[in-house]
Amino acid sequence: MHRFSPTVEATAADTLTEPSWASGLRRNDAATVRALYQQHFPVIRQYVMSNSGTSDDAQDIFQEAMTVLWLKAKEGALPAGSEPGAFLYQVAKNKWLDVVRSAAHKHMKVIHDDRKLDVRAEAPDDTEEKLLRLREVYGKLDEKCRTVLDQFYFERKDLVTIAAGMGVEEESIRTIKYRCMMKLRASRKAIAGEELTDES
Amino acid sequence: MSALDKPTFEQIEAYVLDRLGADERLAFEQRLATDHALRAEVKLERENILAIELGGMERMLTEVRGEQTPQRRQSGGWTTWLKYAAVVAVLLGGALWFTLRPSTNERVFAAHFTPDPGLPVAMGTTDSHAFNDAMVAYKLGDHDEAIGKFTTLLQDDPASDTLRYYIGCAELNAGRPERAAPMLMAVAEQANSVFAGKARWYAFLAMVRSGDRTGAEAIRFDAGDPYGMKAKAVLSEWE
Repeated sequence: MHRFSPTVEATAADTLTEPSWASGLRRNDAATVRALYQQHFPVIRQYVMSNSGTSDDAQDIFQEAMTVLWLKAKEGALPAGSEPGAFLYQVAKNKWLDVVRSAAHKHMKVIHDDRKLDVRAEAPDDTEEKLLRLREVYGKLDEKCRTVLDQFYFERKDLVTIAAGMGVEEESIRTIKYRCMMKLRASRKAIAGEELTDES
Repeated sequence: MSALDKPTFEQIEAYVLDRLGADERLAFEQRLATDHALRAEVKLERENILAIELGGMERMLTEVRGEQTPQRRQSGGWTTWLKYAAVVAVLLGGALWFTLRPSTNERVFAAHFTPDPGLPVAMGTTDSHAFNDAMVAYKLGDHDEAIGKFTTLLQDDPASDTLRYYIGCAELNAGRPERAAPMLMAVAEQANSVFAGKARWYAFLAMVRSGDRTGAEAIRFDAGDPYGMKAKAVLSEWE
């Protein structure tokens, strides 16, 4: 029997067990993102700024860590009992250590702070690679397609609402969505060396 | 690469977004178990949707980040300074508005102009694919792209009132009334065109927009034409 990977949406079984912040991330819920930002950013900022970084560096690092957390939640790949603060801290710390180890920051002195090393979040596996690939895919969309696809797939608006907002008929939006997705499909399939099998 | 028809695409989409009923889902998964090509399509569509969501999430994170920054700044000693700056900005804005405020004809135009929404775009017929593409660009407000595509089609079908009408509308929507008016007038003068009435109205508005009162007054609306009444109202406001 073929083993299916998780769908983009949470299944009913998932939603029974996952914490609200994880289901919020799955739904791309803005209130959840704001709450996580407000609750956990100060710790990351303190860490980065204690290690030769600026507030802007901390924002960049935190944003990247949030993206990793979101992707893990979307894929149902968060270990059971994950705590978002610990996860974000671990990912942000690893990323900042990569930055300070880079040539441009060799002069920096890192103050190690291992208060939260005992966390369930492992170092990102192929997540970085996947994020790069997904960003490349998104970059192939023109503004016209992004306008429609963002509203449908990210904001979860229905076709009627999108059509009303853009002053067009529902069927036009359905057609635009289909065409844009087919353009994306064609460009993906045209990428040299990309093997899209069902086993990964 | 084989094409993926719309019903199959939408079924995969519903599966990926978990919008299938229990029975439909079970049936779909039974197909997946034996259909290698379908599994590959599901994987591809899932990842494409995830890419779109990632784009949205990164935009949202940037917005949330932007919300945090001003709050931090306002907690310092800048509050008073910001208040003064806001007052100065309002005063400067008012002066700028007074200097650059739209002329009467532009205000009247803006009050009465509603862009033509375009024609419904249907799927399926390959011979109308180019027209539909142009119409999609028109509906999304990509006026130059729409004009380019309609104009290409017009070269093959120079008598088309539909193409001329929508080129004129796109020019007007793009803020180029001088280009719009002759194109629309050409359609308005075709008595048998279904677009004649609307073309006359938009040609009239194009002239209002460009300040050509004489040209606007010269346009004759048929008796009983509802656009005629509207045109009279526009001219009386444009005194």
